Amino acid sequence: MADVTEIKTTTAVWRPVKGTLWREVSKHRALYLLISPAILLTILFSYVPMPGIYVAFLDYDIFMQLRSPFVGLQNFIEVFTLPMFLQSIANTLVLSILTLAVTFPAAIILALLLNEMKNGLFKRFVQTVSYLPHFFSWITVIGMAYAMYAMYGPVNDAIVSVTGKDADRILFLGQQWFFVPNILVMTLWKNAGWNTIMYLAALTAIDPTLYEAAHIDGAGRWRRLWHITLPGIRPTIVMLLIFGIGGLLGSNFELVYGLQNSFIDFEVISTIVYKQGINQGQYSLATALGLAQGIVSFILLYTANRISKKLTQTGIF
Amino acid sequence: MSYESSGYKVFKAINFTIMLLIIVVTVYPYLHITAKALNEGYDTMRGGLTIFPRSFTWENFSVLLRDATMLQALYITISRVVVNTFLSLIVTFTAAYVMSKPRFPFKNTALMILVIPMFIHAGLIPTYVLYSKIGLLNNYWVYILPSLFSFFNMILIRTYIRSSVPESLEESAKMDGAGEFTVMLRIILPLCMPILAAITLFEAVGSWNDWTTTLYFVTNPDLFTLQYKLMQVIKESESLMRLMAEAALTGQDTSQMQFSATPESLISAQIVLTTVPIIMVYPFLQRYFVNGIMIGAVKE
Repeated sequence: MADVTEIKTTTAVWRPVKGTLWREVSKHRALYLLISPAILLTILFSYVPMPGIYVAFLDYDIFMQLRSPFVGLQNFIEVFTLPMFLQSIANTLVLSILTLAVTFPAAIILALLLNEMKNGLFKRFVQTVSYLPHFFSWITVIGMAYAMYAMYGPVNDAIVSVTGKDADRILFLGQQWFFVPNILVMTLWKNAGWNTIMYLAALTAIDPTLYEAAHIDGAGRWRRLWHITLPGIRPTIVMLLIFGIGGLLGSNFELVYGLQNSFIDFEVISTIVYKQGINQGQYSLATALGLAQGIVSFILLYTANRISKKLTQTGIF
Repeated sequence: MSYESSGYKVFKAINFTIMLLIIVVTVYPYLHITAKALNEGYDTMRGGLTIFPRSFTWENFSVLLRDATMLQALYITISRVVVNTFLSLIVTFTAAYVMSKPRFPFKNTALMILVIPMFIHAGLIPTYVLYSKIGLLNNYWVYILPSLFSFFNMILIRTYIRSSVPESLEESAKMDGAGEFTVMLRIILPLCMPILAAITLFEAVGSWNDWTTTLYFVTNPDLFTLQYKLMQVIKESESLMRLMAEAALTGQDTSQMQFSATPESLISAQIVLTTVPIIMVYPFLQRYFVNGIMIGAVKE
């Protein structure tokens, strides 16, 4: 509405508000036309399904659809009392927190190390190589893991060459204890290099005269790292951390689903939602679980943002 | 700064070693899988294969490419990559062009509408129900329509337009009588080529690599994609691979088996097949996407 009053004062002629609005729209009709596909697609594919979470409160029946009996919170109660669901929620939390704890600092350290490389050509080569796995699909990476950890693959060959006993070969991807560590290793392998890009960009934006001044004042490398470099990239760190916390629960489907096999008992929320919802047709339960996950994710994101705004005056909204 | 303490020299040596290690760890699995794809399957099962094929063969690839369903998957994958990339560039670029204009009246409203889905999603099941209602299940367009607009890419393009296209350029064109479409297509678009190259790579790689869309919404084998088929063989071959590994371990004779391709070697060949296009375009586009991301990051 602010636009409308502005037009009125600039044209200095009184017109009915409706007419002014119409003129305004018509003046920019090309712009409206150009943005309409994005708006329409977003409304259709993101907003229209949103009321569908109502299914979480129904005893959903494929034939009755939204006229299915309303059962209130019963689906949620079921979700939070079945051991399988509870276990999947715990797994999701543990896996997400571990992944964040391992991959987040790794990217910062790697970026700082890359930044210390003075040989431009070698540095660029390392970057080029370490970004590449980001462009492979998860299922490709899982396929490579199958090859690397195969009974007669390189990892087992290396073990045998050390111990000398052929019986020491391990079917790694069939070991329950190896499942979570392996996910962490694979996530690092695929994304650590790529995640440095933002930090490297932030590092190049730091004013070099700061380093010179600190050097003249007698600051060593550690002090310069501590007092110039890290504060310099702090906004980037905070922003990426908030995004990381926000996406904490939602990720991991492809990796967990792809690595699951008959020896592994490990479900996360997203794999349960898929299996219960789409494979078994338990729409109500799966929607309730997905909704619970979404709400928790949003609370995490919101809280992280609030805390960050209090502490560092940086936030994403 | 010319003086280097011995501590710093040690650090540099360690840093160099870490970087070498990163290169080896990143490259080795890929070279190993390539060697596996080019090696006879039953020979691979003996172990000891590193990064060179030991008994070279094209058999794994020819088995794959004789499979008609594989060719169909290749066709679906390539066509969806082309169509999706082209259309999504149009939708995302036009939106970014409008959002880059400070004078666009409903910019903030539009931004709100577009940004909220970044944080709040309906979830898989409501999406599934919607798709079934509008007929997108088992429909080729499920690969195209839902992914046409990308908020993240729009922000990248908008930031690029704002930081590298002077506003006076547009104003002078307007004075010479150019309309909105002329300005966008003749002035802004040519200047945006570097960022559009980056977005093209992201979009193309994204739809090339996607397999969950097929998993969730497609059951018709004619619409399967390469990545989905790869997922299927990986999941299905797990038990077969274990049997074969056990047979080899207990010294059973596996040489009487008929083909030289094993599930393991076929999977390797399929991985090489699905990654080769990425590896081929990657060096040419790398410069652009790094710049594109960096502009977006610094201006944040």
